[in-house]
Amino acid sequence: MAVGSIRRMARIFVEGWSPEYGAPLDPDEALAPAEGSVDTSIETEDWTPRDGIDDGVPRIAFVDGVRRVDARLTLDDPSGPVAGICGTFAVGAAVWDREAVRSWVAHERIGRWAVLAGGRSETFPVVALEPPYDTTTTPDTDPAGLIRTLHTKMRTAEGHVATAVAEDSFVIADGPLNELAPVPAVGSIKSHRVTYLPPERNAVVAALRPRQRTPLFTISEYRRYSWYVRLADLHGGHAWSGIVRCEASGQLPAAEVIRLADRTAAVLPLVASEPHLDPRAPQNLVPIAALERQLRHRMGEPGLVYRALREAVHERMAS
Amino acid sequence: MSDDRVGRVLGSEHTTTAEFRVVLEEEEYLQLDDLIVVRTEVPKVGEVRTYGVITEAEAVYEGAQYESDTHRIAELGIMPAAKVRTARVAVTRVDPEVWVSADPGEEVARATGEERRKALYADEMERPLPIGLGRDGAPVHVDLDFFDGRKGGHMSISGISGVATKTSFALFFLRMLTSAPEVVGSGAANLRVLVFNVKGEDLLWLDRPNRLFDAHEGAREAWSALGVGPAPFPSVRFWAPPRRQSGDVVVPDTGGRFEGVEVFSWTPRAFIDQDLLEFCFTDASDAKNQIPFIRERVQLQLKRWAVGVDGMPGAVALRDPAQAPDGHAWSRDDRIPATQADVVIADLPSLVRALEIHLEPDDGSEADPAWTARVMPGTVAAFLRRLHAASARLGHLIRADADRRIDRGAANVTVVAIQSLHEQAQRFVVGALLRETFKEKEDTGQRLPLSVIVLDELNKYAPREGTGPLKDMLIDIAQRGRSLGVLLVGAQQTASRVAPEVLENAAIRVTGRLDSAEAERAEYGWMLPSTRARARLLKPGTMVVSQPAIPVPLVVTFPFPPWATRKEEVADAGEDPFAGLT
Repeated sequence: MAVGSIRRMARIFVEGWSPEYGAPLDPDEALAPAEGSVDTSIETEDWTPRDGIDDGVPRIAFVDGVRRVDARLTLDDPSGPVAGICGTFAVGAAVWDREAVRSWVAHERIGRWAVLAGGRSETFPVVALEPPYDTTTTPDTDPAGLIRTLHTKMRTAEGHVATAVAEDSFVIADGPLNELAPVPAVGSIKSHRVTYLPPERNAVVAALRPRQRTPLFTISEYRRYSWYVRLADLHGGHAWSGIVRCEASGQLPAAEVIRLADRTAAVLPLVASEPHLDPRAPQNLVPIAALERQLRHRMGEPGLVYRALREAVHERMAS
Repeated sequence: MSDDRVGRVLGSEHTTTAEFRVVLEEEEYLQLDDLIVVRTEVPKVGEVRTYGVITEAEAVYEGAQYESDTHRIAELGIMPAAKVRTARVAVTRVDPEVWVSADPGEEVARATGEERRKALYADEMERPLPIGLGRDGAPVHVDLDFFDGRKGGHMSISGISGVATKTSFALFFLRMLTSAPEVVGSGAANLRVLVFNVKGEDLLWLDRPNRLFDAHEGAREAWSALGVGPAPFPSVRFWAPPRRQSGDVVVPDTGGRFEGVEVFSWTPRAFIDQDLLEFCFTDASDAKNQIPFIRERVQLQLKRWAVGVDGMPGAVALRDPAQAPDGHAWSRDDRIPATQADVVIADLPSLVRALEIHLEPDDGSEADPAWTARVMPGTVAAFLRRLHAASARLGHLIRADADRRIDRGAANVTVVAIQSLHEQAQRFVVGALLRETFKEKEDTGQRLPLSVIVLDELNKYAPREGTGPLKDMLIDIAQRGRSLGVLLVGAQQTASRVAPEVLENAAIRVTGRLDSAEAERAEYGWMLPSTRARARLLKPGTMVVSQPAIPVPLVVTFPFPPWATRKEEVADAGEDPFAGLT
């Protein structure tokens, strides 16, 4: 890089303190639709638990991503310090071939991003990592906004993975759908911060047996179908433990979504996790947990990544 | 190289100069004892080849976190995981000798051909003698320099009994040794092997073809791979003690075979001249109190007092050497008429009777101190008591009627059958023959021709605890025999019960199946932990061999013998299983 161009830019520093320091944040929460007017008459007026139907779909792909803040950055600008982060995400799919009775991880992709606040145009130096860091910027100045930017990048990558595997697999995404195209995919949401159904309908959720689901419903302004599935009866659990909310694209025909809903009610309990092995059981699905473990591994050893970052910044300063 | 590639050096843990692991290719496998080679580019040195042998094979689901994940992966298929197979390698050699560890991620190939020879140091052995077959069916060699005394000597074989591995292996080794004059070199023709048959009559058929041989699949191919024709021992002589109470007819004391078995015994003359009295006192308790004192004095006196008897070449009589022509001791040529002798010593009982005259006079007078060495009367009584007992147990081995000395020069292999004898008599025979063999070599001072002694149940003759003339002699052979060309092939069920001096001097160590508690003992420290764990599972015909030339023990198999090991296996005269062989 030409010396002149560096001069015009503020110097970037990698902070020494833990990258994860700062506000813990689940950007997915923002994606959960707010409580709104709910239409429960999409499928039927008869609001009773419905049994799942396993149509023997041969391949199911579980799509997920993980991310990590590798380092916090500070731009030493005359007008005052500007924040930034370096982050890595990994996305992929655990493909379950039900006929071959085996699973494998496919479409793994790693992304590394340096996110600078305040719309800055500096470019992060080349780091000896594969893949290298891309630089992006966000007009936001708060730390949460930086993470949100990284998260969005990851969600987009997840969407690409989902689209790719949807060609020959039924896709189940961990968390809300990141819809790039209307594919027959289902999002599986583990936590229930908002109660969407009217109270009398909620009683049906409590009455669900494992492998049963509620009828479909839609939430206004949120163009997706939703339904609840019980994965397992948890010993000592409350009425909503062992329940996941599923959603599918609102652009799909209702008849198709009913088929997907029946399928998820039958299939998801098969991959539910065991409470003694996973604190987030049963909602944290076995293929998802295994996939996340592998993806975390693929992001690279955090200590090594951090060291590479410091080295790269140091080199540029020395040059 | 890439054709033989089976995997890569594991990089998730440290490789060392002693051990590393291999991650296998999907379509390949490595089993225990397989030989591999890795090429590592070392800065400033160039290519270094690391050779090794597989000591363990392992497999795991990578990605499985809990044991129950196995079901999720293999049965339900809902969990992604990779089956990873690895093999553990013990390094046998680095070439050139730059002791660096193999690089992680390097290609691992099966060692075949010249690489296999290098892995097993066969290229460095000046005198390689096949000692069995490797897992790949090709011969594994031992450097004869480490057996015949040039760089080391002796062999120690351990293993539980009943599997018949120890003796079988010893004989297999002898067969290889006697069939390889080009390896043994000068003196091969005069190689003498002394084998004691201590149990059953397994070794009395070494010269007969085994009719079950052809029923054993692969046996013929194995012998041919070893470069030896599958034939019985060509040059064997069998010797057995005389049967007791057989009157004047002397027949060998064997059960199944009489023909071709010669009877051995010692004359009283030889008994006295060769100091064989010593081997009548081989019990551990015989070394206590003062019995050795009086025994030594009696041996000395017997040599001075013994005089030939006219007309009875093997017999002697005792007469005061003051009457001898030189006034001091009788010479071998002096004779007296039988009528003048107090007692004509023609066997062991008559020798005891003759000794009693001097040690325990009938008239109650005091014993002659020249004979008693002034030990306490109680010791004299104990000495005589033991001599009486010995006379009952091995008296029939001392006979004046004919010279039945074992002629070890008559054949390559001399089998001495002592299985029918009392334990004390067995020790006597072993002691007498070892002494004779060793003394012969001591007198010549020549290492060649080699004299090999095969002795099973070594723990009986050279026990870890206690002392005795036999143990002393075996230790002497172990320590000095190497330079004199007297080589001991000792076998025992448990090495921990054998005198350490004898074991430590064995350059080549072999074990068959071991009791698992025994395998953990320090005597087997030369085995790798994985080999020890396996030692309790070894099948008959499989042995672990350690030799100084190779830093890790190797597992070898040896083929079914073409000679009979039981009467039932002896091929009928009319049936020649070797017909058609040239």
